[in-house]
Amino acid sequence: MKRLSYLLPLLLVALLMAACGKKKYSIPAKSVEYEEQAVTYPDYNDVTIPPNIAPLNFMLREKAATELVVVYKGDKGGELVTGGGEDLKVKIDTTEWRALLQANKGADVTVTVYAHMPGGWRKYKSHKLSVAEEDIDPYLSYRLIEPGYVLYRQLGLYQRNLTNWTEAIIYENTRTYEEDNNHCINCHNYQNYSTKNMLFHVRANHGGTVLVMDGKARKVQIQGDSLLASGVYPSWHPKKNLVAISTNKTGQVFHIKHPEKIEVMDEASDLLLYDADKNEVRVVLDSSTELETFPCWSPDGNWLYYCVATDPIDHTLPDSLQSTMMVQYENLHYDVKRLSFDLQTLQFGEPETVIDCSTRGRSASFPRISPDGRYLLYAEGDYGQFHIWHRSSDLFVKDLSNDSIYPLTEANSPDVDSYHSWSSNGRWIVFSTRRMDGNYTRPFITYFDSEGRSRKAFCLPQEDPEQNIMLLKSYNVPELTKDAVRVTPSALRRCIYDSDGEKAKYISR
Amino acid sequence: MSKHHKKPSAPSAPKPQQKKAEEKKAKRRIILPSPYIVMFVVVWAWAALWYGDTLHIAREFSFWSWDSTLMYYEKGRPWGELWQIGLLLLQLYRWPAVGALLLSLLITGGTYLFGYCLRLRSWWQLLQYIPALLYMSYTAYLGFDLYFENEAGRIMGIPFLCFVVLLIIALIIRSFSKHHRLPPILRAQAGENWKLSSTYLLAVVLTVAVPMLISQLLRPYVRVTTKMQCCMERQDWAKMAQTARDHAEMSYRPIAAYYAIALVQRGEIATHLFDIRMDYDDVYIHEFGGTLCNVGDYYMEDCDFYAGLVETSIHHAMENLTMNGPNLRALKLLTKCALLNGEWEVAEKYFTILHRVPFEGKWLKKYEPMLRDSAAVNSDPEFHMVRLTEPVHDNFENNFEQPAFLGYNAALLEGRSINALWNCLAVHLYSKSMPQFIYRCYPMRGTTPPESFAEALALMSSKQPELMQNFLGLEWQREHLARFAKEVKPYMKDRAKYARELFPKYKGYYPYYYFFGNLKATKRQEEARKSSSSGVN
Repeated sequence: MKRLSYLLPLLLVALLMAACGKKKYSIPAKSVEYEEQAVTYPDYNDVTIPPNIAPLNFMLREKAATELVVVYKGDKGGELVTGGGEDLKVKIDTTEWRALLQANKGADVTVTVYAHMPGGWRKYKSHKLSVAEEDIDPYLSYRLIEPGYVLYRQLGLYQRNLTNWTEAIIYENTRTYEEDNNHCINCHNYQNYSTKNMLFHVRANHGGTVLVMDGKARKVQIQGDSLLASGVYPSWHPKKNLVAISTNKTGQVFHIKHPEKIEVMDEASDLLLYDADKNEVRVVLDSSTELETFPCWSPDGNWLYYCVATDPIDHTLPDSLQSTMMVQYENLHYDVKRLSFDLQTLQFGEPETVIDCSTRGRSASFPRISPDGRYLLYAEGDYGQFHIWHRSSDLFVKDLSNDSIYPLTEANSPDVDSYHSWSSNGRWIVFSTRRMDGNYTRPFITYFDSEGRSRKAFCLPQEDPEQNIMLLKSYNVPELTKDAVRVTPSALRRCIYDSDGEKAKYISR
Repeated sequence: MSKHHKKPSAPSAPKPQQKKAEEKKAKRRIILPSPYIVMFVVVWAWAALWYGDTLHIAREFSFWSWDSTLMYYEKGRPWGELWQIGLLLLQLYRWPAVGALLLSLLITGGTYLFGYCLRLRSWWQLLQYIPALLYMSYTAYLGFDLYFENEAGRIMGIPFLCFVVLLIIALIIRSFSKHHRLPPILRAQAGENWKLSSTYLLAVVLTVAVPMLISQLLRPYVRVTTKMQCCMERQDWAKMAQTARDHAEMSYRPIAAYYAIALVQRGEIATHLFDIRMDYDDVYIHEFGGTLCNVGDYYMEDCDFYAGLVETSIHHAMENLTMNGPNLRALKLLTKCALLNGEWEVAEKYFTILHRVPFEGKWLKKYEPMLRDSAAVNSDPEFHMVRLTEPVHDNFENNFEQPAFLGYNAALLEGRSINALWNCLAVHLYSKSMPQFIYRCYPMRGTTPPESFAEALALMSSKQPELMQNFLGLEWQREHLARFAKEVKPYMKDRAKYARELFPKYKGYYPYYYFFGNLKATKRQEEARKSSSSGVN
């Protein structure tokens, strides 16, 4: 007991320290007004945000400042006063933040930043956060990988809960290099924003397509002698267990003097339809003169949209007279077309052009239809299909009700804006962009209003606002879902390692 | 008291024989220093002076940071926490003398505790040096595998773990055993058993000598290469080139690669490229998982960078980052590339990351002020030389033979400077592709070409006499060539056999290289040509 008595003061000190851990910030009594807005990282000034988003933690980019206080004041009431120390990082209390946003749905929150400068407190010009009425789907899945090179090792699929900071592993390649087990994973895709049915591909060792249906994972091989290559870009049919999938002979080449660094090109590509219930695959389009890729179902399941380009290489010429795709890459322009689909007979109609980019000397990729079926969202760039490396790439929409096409100017940036997906309510778009540093893609979120207009996009918030600087990987293929992935990484690992994968049966058209 | 008891007599004077024996005994009582002190010093010398550059480069090939995001994948690996400690301790190798102090302390301390825990006495005590001997020998044996695509955290992590485990065991023994006292560390060995004492010292010396011997005999290229890399880091191009020349008879690709970089930076590629042997003995190097890998991966990104292929360097540095996770070498190179490309945002990202690595202040102090200052970038001597050989037009790496820094320069048709032309000509001489060399020499018509080029032109003039008129100063070269031809005639029948013998006499002379140098590569290239596959040596 005597010994324990020595511990008591220590315990008290520990308790005291814990109590003092959270600093209380108060609005500076005296400050000098500054006519510009605070420069923050990430930039969250004047953005529209979902009411269920995690706190927009940020850091102030003002070297001379030593402390900061931030005041969030809702138009419909509520005030949140927070701040940051010498690192100038603002980490907002999640509970207080949530309460503020819920109280201000459909209204604005005014944000005022005070920075303690050598001469006293500076009050920056306030900015607004517009809180939308509509939530964003709470889960975002993505792949984390170094920005697009040939080799791969420590990569994985992850799922972030957008309402807090939780990031769960869906599946990871081995952390240590194993020659016989090293593999790449890509192209995760979900049916109807739900994780009930999902798939992703495994390349190299243990290769195949992993299908998760009703929480059970199995591996299949969507390839065969009659097919060009294995399945690549998938899209689940919204009503049936069918997957439209492209099969691509893809190659990537590296520039020696070009800001875009890499060009990814398809030497050939076709469209397939995979029946997940029957494990059967059949060809949808396999023209020898056209390159078809990036299939996407309409929400009603009656149309299959896809990208298509005329193969710039004349394969009828002798090999010695053919130019290579590497020479022709800037002449490769993709359009968006669609095929009607009969849900009863499972037969496709004839191709119809939806967006004619090639005649404008531009190129479209990744068509995605809004959940209400009205808007076609796609990326448009100067050439090619893999716009994630094209600085000219911007997000565009086509209003299918009146055929108008326009860029999402408010959301776009001078750098790459590409891979995109809708939220299930059609009010949010998440997309990949290299706007932060020109090299590493980060997921940005933009509001898409009922008039078809976007807002200034904001970066996926992180608990440590510096995380986007520290992370040496790119966010790849961001996809929103309403629920969390139901199958564990170990179950997926067992499926990938223990099974060679059932070969899909090829059915001729 | 017994009457028989004798009075103690005064000590009698020693007899001459006795005196002699005592003197001899005193002579034997040589004061030998404590083996632990000696061990600490010699292990430090090994770790700082002998292997210091190598362990410094090991640090450059690895990474440790306070930031959890950066260390995420490192932590998740088996033994990740231990390797993290190892990587943290390895940071002291920013200065080899300092890192060596810690390493020596761990090794010497571990040796001492090992002896104590096993209660080794007398001759058995020699066993205590075995773990240190094994660890250091294995370190030397691994060579590049110590850090290249392998876990560098084990360099300090293993001695640290051993030391901590032994320390805990020793403390337990010391706490519960009254009769097991710690042996003295600092006390000199003045015992009468001088044989045993000197054997301890011999064991200490062997503990260091064996790994030195292993590195010298089995991995001779490692210390030379890493010394050159350290010179490159300091931008001491003269010493870098001289280091290769000092080991001119040693023929390994990494040495030749870094030698070429030094020559490019000094503008001597046209005169001194063939001063070292280029027959390329095999290098012991493996990638993750233990598979043999291409030694080119070791130096590729550096060669790309200094050949002016900044984008290709980024490509290879990124592959490096992908396979090895964050490492100082790749991050510093990517930062330099970003500065050269004017990609300020990503350069700033890398600077922020490097700020989270201990002891990188000096490097940051040099490069960080160049952020958003193109003039500062262009006026930097190192970057200036890179700029001189940057490509004029865009193309794809795939259009050139691999490795790209040779393939691109071989295919060069338009360059920014005379340096670009020299690189191009040097590559053709290196790959003995003489028609392309002569074709690309034409811009120098009417001038006296640099030495190696003049030697090559003189060599080719026997087939193309017009070369003598097109270039100045070839007459003397022709005479020199005639002498050479006469002298080497007896050796021409078996060039592979006599190449090494002739090297000291003809090193630096291009006709020697043409006929006797790089024969393996020449053979490989001929075979490759026959089977229509690509590849520049």
